[in-house]
Amino acid sequence: MTSHLLLDGVSKRFSNDHAPALDAVTLDVAAGSCTAILGPSGSGKSTILRVMAGLDPVTSGQVLVDGVDVAGLAPERRGMGMVFQRPLLFPHLSVLDNVAFADRVSGVPRAVARLNAGLYLDMVQLGGYGRRSVRELSGGQEQRVAIARALAARPRVLLLDEPFSALDPELRSDMHGLIDDIRSALSPTIVLVTHDRDEASAVADRIAVLHEGELLQHDTVDGVYTRPGSLRVARLMGGLNEVPGIIVDGAHLSALGRIRLDAGRDVSAGPATLVVRQEAVGVRALGAEEASDGVVGIVTGIRHLGPRRLLTIRFRAAGAAGTAGAADAELNAELPPGQCVEVGSRVAVTLPPAAVSTVRE
Amino acid sequence: MTIQARSVTADPQRADAGRLRLPGDPGPRLTDSRGAGRVGRVLSATLLAAWFLVPLVPLALWAFADRWSFPEVLPTVWGIDGLESSIAQGAVPAFWRSLLLGLVVAAIATPLGAAAARALTMGTVRWPRAVGLVLLAPVALPPFAAVMGLNVVLLRAYVPPLVGLVLVLVVIALPYTTFAMRVAYAAHDIRFEEEARTLGASPWTVLWRIHIPLVAPALARAAFLAFLVGWSDYIVTVIIGGGAVVTLPLVIASSAAGIGNDSAVAILSLTAILPPLTLLLLLGLAGRRSARPRRRRPDTDPVDPRTARSPRSRPHEPGATR
Repeated sequence: MTSHLLLDGVSKRFSNDHAPALDAVTLDVAAGSCTAILGPSGSGKSTILRVMAGLDPVTSGQVLVDGVDVAGLAPERRGMGMVFQRPLLFPHLSVLDNVAFADRVSGVPRAVARLNAGLYLDMVQLGGYGRRSVRELSGGQEQRVAIARALAARPRVLLLDEPFSALDPELRSDMHGLIDDIRSALSPTIVLVTHDRDEASAVADRIAVLHEGELLQHDTVDGVYTRPGSLRVARLMGGLNEVPGIIVDGAHLSALGRIRLDAGRDVSAGPATLVVRQEAVGVRALGAEEASDGVVGIVTGIRHLGPRRLLTIRFRAAGAAGTAGAADAELNAELPPGQCVEVGSRVAVTLPPAAVSTVRE
Repeated sequence: MTIQARSVTADPQRADAGRLRLPGDPGPRLTDSRGAGRVGRVLSATLLAAWFLVPLVPLALWAFADRWSFPEVLPTVWGIDGLESSIAQGAVPAFWRSLLLGLVVAAIATPLGAAAARALTMGTVRWPRAVGLVLLAPVALPPFAAVMGLNVVLLRAYVPPLVGLVLVLVVIALPYTTFAMRVAYAAHDIRFEEEARTLGASPWTVLWRIHIPLVAPALARAAFLAFLVGWSDYIVTVIIGGGAVVTLPLVIASSAAGIGNDSAVAILSLTAILPPLTLLLLLGLAGRRSARPRRRRPDTDPVDPRTARSPRSRPHEPGATR
């Protein structure tokens, strides 16, 4: 079940479309790892899975499983397990026979196939549900059976196409737990397609950001969040802060002042946009006359995000006209519960160096 | 922290709810009729049943009436003259011929119609609306006119009458099978088949194990319609068959054309009704069994894994329920 998957320059073009659905995508998924492909609707997420599964042929490029090109192989010979957003349980088969389907079509005797199927049902915590009709299951149970059915085929790579997006949030987090259980039990290679950033970070080791058929970045969860390769990735990952400025002597200059950049970042001089996650920005309310050694701004807006609040903070331009920091800057910061801040408050802002990154466009 | 809540919400299934609505129970449906609506529904259903059954009563009476003079309400002499007479007219072999013809037409027109419908629905046909209209044409065309022209063509092409007959009947049956299957394929999710492929099933296995079972009810309906075309055809059998193939409708027609054959015609007519009626009943029973609505289990199922998750996921809430 643990195979290495490599897409090498895969392009997919549908005959009646002008733009390619996938544009020279190269994606390396290590054996036993879980990669989430994240992107908005129409970004080609589902197409990439269908190409991996062999349900759609590639226009150019290679799909390599353990180093062997499978592009010419029919879906049934690729060993790719697929779970769609709809569970698609075969309505004319019982729960157990659904899970036993892969074994049955590969010629395993019915009794053995059912015995195996029972083990996979146990794994998704539906032991004892085998004799039921699939119509008797709830939405979450159906998706569990669908996962058990895909696992029972002992796929080399498990492909999950937005499998939990039709479930309510509570069930969804249970399913994330189930994926963790499956990963620790079988360590399959998993490619998960989702439009939900939280889901991607909860389940996957690495995130591949896809936009209009182009793979923008493939990195660890932390990497994609805190070191986005482009403003587009930063925005797709929900980042709200973009402060234009220039890099001089290893520091970023803008209305925020001089922000020293961590070692290991690209610090060559030139214009660059500073990006920092709103969750990483530290905010401290200041008294009316209180001085601060940090950057001081004025709160211009507050929006509630569950228990937290999202502050919009404005910083007055400090530099002279024509130099770095000549324009006002704005930062968004998430404030944990407990602090009292109002619109118009003065706040001191700290930016942890590890969370700050720059992007050149 | 959840102890108090537990005594209230834990396991709502076990609480003797009597006629209380359980969570997940949708209650009476909007489509269930009540009061005056119900009376109206029963009344219209009865009238509809009478509409179909009343014409059969005189047929049933005539079938065993050796004599039934005009003013009498019931036959004056009962007997089986009609039965003997219809057997003498060759009703038995005609019955088998008709049955065979209906089955052959169904066996050819159903898969063809299914294939056409699938192609039309899945978008593999260039101009689906135009092709759909062409397929519908045999229904719109006056059969007599079409068949007369076709007969000349078939004779010139030296097509044997029996083959020609089946060929034309299949063409006439195609619109029915195609449209019955188009409805089914419109609701059919191709991803069932794709899922089966990724599970290791070859296209052939997918056809037999997934595709056909999923569209089986529609296939049965389509086959029934195609069977009816073959079973009840008169014009095509007379003209294209050229008298070589004597089917039940031909025997009925010739019998009805004569005088004093009322009881034989009644017997033959009843015979003609039987096979379609039997098939219809079988179809209804099979449909009832496969489409019996099953209530989804409510999400608070006592053994639902959501409530019986491994302790790993909720280490701090040993008795937690929702």
